[in-house]
Amino acid sequence: MTTTLGGAPDRAPKRTSQKVREGLLGWLFLLPALAVFVAFFYYPLYLLVDMSLHRENRFGIGDPPYVGPSQIVDTLTGSDFIEGLTNSGLYMVYTVPLGLVLGVLLAVAANRRLRGIRVFQTIFSSTVATSVAVASVIFFTLVNPEVGYFKDVSWLSLDNPDWALFSVSLSSVWQNLGLTFIIVLAALQAIPAEMEEASALDGYGPLRHFWQITVPLISPALLFLAVVLVVHALQAYAQIELLTNGGPGTATETLLYKIADPQGIRSIGTKASMSLGLFVLTAVVAAAQYGLLSKRVHYGD
Amino acid sequence: MSAVTFDEVTKAFGETVAVENMSLEVIDGEFMVLLGPSGCGKSTALRMIAGLEEVTSGMLSIGNQVVNDIPPRERDIAMVFQSYALYPHMTVRKNIESPLVANKRTRLAPAEREQRVHEAAEILGLTEYMDRKPGELSGGQRQRVALARAIVRRPQVFLMDEPLSNLDAKLRTQTRLELVELHRRLGTTFVYVTHDQVEAMTMADRIAIISDGRVQQVGRPQEVYDRPENLFVAQFIGSPPMNTISGTLTTGSSGRTVQTAVGSFAVSDGTGAPDGTPVVAAVRPEHMAVATTDGAGLSGTVENIEMLGHERHLLARVDDRVMVARLGPEDPSPAIHDRVALTVDPDRAHLFDAATTRRLDDSAVAAPGNAR
Repeated sequence: MTTTLGGAPDRAPKRTSQKVREGLLGWLFLLPALAVFVAFFYYPLYLLVDMSLHRENRFGIGDPPYVGPSQIVDTLTGSDFIEGLTNSGLYMVYTVPLGLVLGVLLAVAANRRLRGIRVFQTIFSSTVATSVAVASVIFFTLVNPEVGYFKDVSWLSLDNPDWALFSVSLSSVWQNLGLTFIIVLAALQAIPAEMEEASALDGYGPLRHFWQITVPLISPALLFLAVVLVVHALQAYAQIELLTNGGPGTATETLLYKIADPQGIRSIGTKASMSLGLFVLTAVVAAAQYGLLSKRVHYGD
Repeated sequence: MSAVTFDEVTKAFGETVAVENMSLEVIDGEFMVLLGPSGCGKSTALRMIAGLEEVTSGMLSIGNQVVNDIPPRERDIAMVFQSYALYPHMTVRKNIESPLVANKRTRLAPAEREQRVHEAAEILGLTEYMDRKPGELSGGQRQRVALARAIVRRPQVFLMDEPLSNLDAKLRTQTRLELVELHRRLGTTFVYVTHDQVEAMTMADRIAIISDGRVQQVGRPQEVYDRPENLFVAQFIGSPPMNTISGTLTTGSSGRTVQTAVGSFAVSDGTGAPDGTPVVAAVRPEHMAVATTDGAGLSGTVENIEMLGHERHLLARVDDRVMVARLGPEDPSPAIHDRVALTVDPDRAHLFDAATTRRLDDSAVAAPGNAR
């Protein structure tokens, strides 16, 4: 569908070559990102699928035999996976809402113009600069069953199979608090002062102001944090290994812990299948969050 | 409706004094404009009425009530912000309704609320946009929503902080008219802050000119134009601004004159000041003319002539300053770089004490236009 004007035939080839050149240039710009994705994401994903379709050779000799999707189905319906799933889910439930609420409370408290407030803001956000290992060690000194300050508090006990997971999750809450605090504080500070003043003149009291004005305005930050905290919860590993080693028994073995399998009791094929399960779970949870929450999130003009 | 009274009100931020010892009475139902350059304290004064800034000393009253310690929400005022400060997550309807539902104690019945919101939307022509969010509206429409949110609560006083400065020039002119119309219709006290003298002159019942945290002059627009109380007001009001030149007051053969480094000119008698008083004379461009006879006026060189269609501005370098004379369509046009002498209408020269910058009273302008 071309309209030919005088002189157009001369120009047409030029245009095509220009198009090709622009296209190539576009791919050129994409290349670095693409290379990173292929090397560190798509290729490992392919390997993962490949591993979950083959059974490990007993003595590591020869090619692993193909067993098909049955290995995946067996693993994902097995009690081991279900237990990991439950523990990961509980870990999420323990850490995400509590972490969000505490972070917002701290940020609201620290978002005011007072002399020396920066000192508090720095203290509250300091856990961002703390490694999981350090956070876990500090937490362990608090709850150590022999000498910890809280050794007699049953719901903090790492020895009690009913409470160990909750206790570990508290260290995660503490660890994540800095991030939540920083992001919520930034969101609060981005609210124009005139908006606060308008609401004061309209007659909103502090509580109604918070729910009617503040929360909707920081909702994008809250959604972002909800997603990040869920991902953190599903990826929690170091604190579990350092604090409980998955115990007592298997009470704190989350999905990721089972996959990492520090004792080396599961086959590569099983762990690959579990990884696929975790991948799907993460995707579903993230999609559900965007789907459910994004309707209630306001992204400004 | 209510009056607003500043009684020796001072506002200091630490060492910085934003408003100093301000006394000002805004009469019940009037359209008062606080006019001044940026940083002069006019917005701080407005924010004190709103209760968004605390009064450091002095007494501020709305109606008969001293409001120094009354929180904003109990002052029965409404404010329109420069940025409009609409709630981006609420629809136009919810935004307008907001002051009626925000406070549980004073919340109105749904039917009455509905009716008031509808009325406010009607006045401002917003009925078609009620279910949109502010992000989907143009600047002018947002501005109307902000106004609607202000009028819906029927406050005693309207406060407006440069509400037109985010609009384009055409819309600003139109909205100016609508605001005056709105004021007539509601009959409520308006306190309006701006740095734009055109807004002040066209809308105000009275203007309070503020500089350095102090009220310089309060009066009807024509009054402050015709009879500025001090040099600041003289130079701030009017465009192009008044020409100023310093000199000494003398009495010559032809009556009182001002002797300057570049010539002298006669002024109408009337000042009680003695000969030899150092003065600053201020003359509006329309009261200066190019001399047709030799030997009179202030000598200078033509720098440029600005054509504005209905008039021309002659810019002449006189001594170390540029003076502006407004030429009518009939006047001859000198060429650039010509030497010219500028004359001053003796009845229209304003004289200010060089030391205090205050008006030397009963001076030049006992002009008819001012004797109303």
